[in-house]
Amino acid sequence: MLNHREKRRYLAIIYDENNVYRHFQLHEKIVERFKELFGVIHYELAMLKLYDSKFGNILFVGCKLKYLDYFLVSLSLTQPSFTVVSLSGTIKKLRKNVSSLDIRNIKSGVN
Amino acid sequence: MSKILDLDIIGIDSNYSTNTEPVENIILRMDKKYSMADYYPYLIVSDNIKTLDGKTDLFLIDPFQRKDAIKSKAKRALGVEISIAFAKKLNATMVGKWLKEVKSIYEFCKSNDCQFILSSGARSINELVSARSFESILKLIGVSPKNYWNEITEWLFTKNKVRWVYAKP
Repeated sequence: MLNHREKRRYLAIIYDENNVYRHFQLHEKIVERFKELFGVIHYELAMLKLYDSKFGNILFVGCKLKYLDYFLVSLSLTQPSFTVVSLSGTIKKLRKNVSSLDIRNIKSGVN
Repeated sequence: MSKILDLDIIGIDSNYSTNTEPVENIILRMDKKYSMADYYPYLIVSDNIKTLDGKTDLFLIDPFQRKDAIKSKAKRALGVEISIAFAKKLNATMVGKWLKEVKSIYEFCKSNDCQFILSSGARSINELVSARSFESILKLIGVSPKNYWNEITEWLFTKNKVRWVYAKP
């Protein structure tokens, strides 16, 4: 039998910098909403995982590609608000993408 | 920011517009036609069924409100907008109901020649929703994202052709 690894996607998610929550607490909020909307079984299968982004108000979260739509819906319907600013197949590429974004502009809301 | 979210055009409330020059990827949302509408692309937006008339481009609907009144007032090519921001505050059961209502509004729009529009309803930069996230919500309610983007582009193009010929940045 082939040792098949399921594809994952990694997302960079920006949140309000004035937020009182810490990274792991925000991750818990997202997880809670995912479980509420799509159930515990889908949550376990989606394998959501929080990664250290090393950027101020940006979270890196990974999930299985198969459950990406569920994850994006959960994110869009979670309070506090989160915005997906980048999506990639590897953490390395994601970090590179986020580095190339003008984070200062995002924070100040300049188009 | 629109580039990051993969959106070609963003609609912003005319009150929040700080730019003095029209920007290519911005459409102003206003409750009535203001003088700046001569220079900017704009849409007349209403969230009150009583003020909904022939000049209204976009009607912001509460998915839980009765649709009978809208049925009688909705003109052809009216944009019917649903805000995601509203659903963020709902509990899971209500989110399920909200999604069901969104689907029924989509079907209503299809049968009444109205343009279904899903919007972030964002009041800050952090509340914006990326194009990919919109697509996930659309897929969940059984709407083809490709058709949705094509239809909304065509709808905006029609508005653009009629009104914004002179509104060049």
